[in-house]
Amino acid sequence: MSSAVSLAAEIRAGRRRAADVLEERLADIAARNANFNAFTEVTAARARAEAAAVDAKVAAGQDPGPMAGVPVAVKNLFDLEGITTLAGAKIERDSPPAVRDAFLVRQMQAAGAVMLGALNMDEYAYGFTTENAHYGPCHNPHDLTRIAGGSSGGSAAAVAGGLVPITLGSDTNGSIRVPSSLCGIWGLKPTYGRLSRSGGFLFAASFDHLGPFARDLADLALAYNVLQGEDPEDPAQHWLGAAPVDVSPEIGGLRIAVAGDHFTRGGHAEGFAAVEAVARALGTTQSVTIPDAALGRAAAFLITMAEGANLHLPNLRTRPEDFDFATRDRFLAGALLPAHWPQQAQRVRAAYRAKALALFDEVDVIIAPATPYVAPKIGQEMIEVEGAMIPVRPNLGVYTQPISCIGLPVIAAPIADPAALGTPGGMPIGVQLIAAPWAEAKLFRVAAMLEKLGVCKAPDVKA
Amino acid sequence: MPEFDPEAYAKQAAAAIGLPLNPAHLPGITMNLALAKRMAGLIEQMKITPADEAAPVYVPRKTP
Repeated sequence: MSSAVSLAAEIRAGRRRAADVLEERLADIAARNANFNAFTEVTAARARAEAAAVDAKVAAGQDPGPMAGVPVAVKNLFDLEGITTLAGAKIERDSPPAVRDAFLVRQMQAAGAVMLGALNMDEYAYGFTTENAHYGPCHNPHDLTRIAGGSSGGSAAAVAGGLVPITLGSDTNGSIRVPSSLCGIWGLKPTYGRLSRSGGFLFAASFDHLGPFARDLADLALAYNVLQGEDPEDPAQHWLGAAPVDVSPEIGGLRIAVAGDHFTRGGHAEGFAAVEAVARALGTTQSVTIPDAALGRAAAFLITMAEGANLHLPNLRTRPEDFDFATRDRFLAGALLPAHWPQQAQRVRAAYRAKALALFDEVDVIIAPATPYVAPKIGQEMIEVEGAMIPVRPNLGVYTQPISCIGLPVIAAPIADPAALGTPGGMPIGVQLIAAPWAEAKLFRVAAMLEKLGVCKAPDVKA
Repeated sequence: MPEFDPEAYAKQAAAAIGLPLNPAHLPGITMNLALAKRMAGLIEQMKITPADEAAPVYVPRKTP
């Protein structure tokens, strides 16, 4: 499948029709989606109308926008007009259809994108595996017996599997970065407050971020630039004006370091080998300690429990059996936390933020593992880490939670040749590139250099 | 001080907020409460003062 950038260029130039690109994608999704269980709804009629509108603009000599005819899809917690927003839940099937697209969907549509549908996820985004009891597990395109990661598993699988070049997901504790790493694609969790969340089904509002996935870094930048826009309806958005990025591999003057301490334990060798490979390629020798990262993770854990449970308390009271068993008991327990815990966590979070931000006086970009291991098998409960058997699922967020807790922007960058790194079964793995708030442009510069050096690139799925 | 009893606590706290509990869900709830208590123990390690304000700050209206 062509990249979004090249597809848009061909369609804008009149060399290809958006309608033809769309029909090719619809046929491919019909043939292969069952392998991945990525799409939960395909919006073919809507997509045909949008593609026709793009072709009509091109024929009339008008500008169809920078994403002209680019096929996209979104995690099923984004509102799509006329479709019920499931958020991975059986309970939400009873909700009325959305009356308006989510803000980010409107941004893409205005740029000429063609919306193909909604994608599988963990129920209410509370998970890292997309083993959804209601809609089935999402399968990793690199090994269909393994998870795609979560909670935006369908978004990652659809991109890694080549069904669409760009998707959107959400990230509260790692739900863009974990599936990006496990499926071997690029993902962006922007600064908290950068992109509007309105029209997205919230999970834990203190940490909820929305962002894009792509196979190509240039496509990730294209999507991010299109998604930026002021939205007075999102109380968490902190609008500083559009800050478009490019993919110039210019890292002169950037101070880059590897995250130490918390980020050097609790995982398998491949997670750390990925960091070493990236650091070696960039000539990075400096290490920094993000102080109290484990405490930040604990704070995120408690706030997430409390906020998520509060959101769903009416349904927890009246129909607990309709929740996915994987989320239900966590939500129930979260509803019962003493108020001191999440409130103390919010104060600890602020103190942790102050310590972490001081680091950026010394460095511009920090490299850390994205996941502690490659994708586990679907249904796997436990995994051995440092000689102890621990639950495999919650530990997937061990390196992402401390970062989203304080809203730092992150690009998840896929290792180009995971087999050469010695990953089990040659499965993909990525790293986190982390910057100070609002410094996404620096991340794209470092990512572009890693792509130029051949260290980071979405690995091909073996047929 | 008595030791934390997550099951007894769960039943009482659920009654306080009007949340019926299915006995079949209690093992999962108590396991998650025990885990939350461990996490709460971690955040208690950080020394903060009354000057350390909570992260979310209410904004009455966005600046135009």
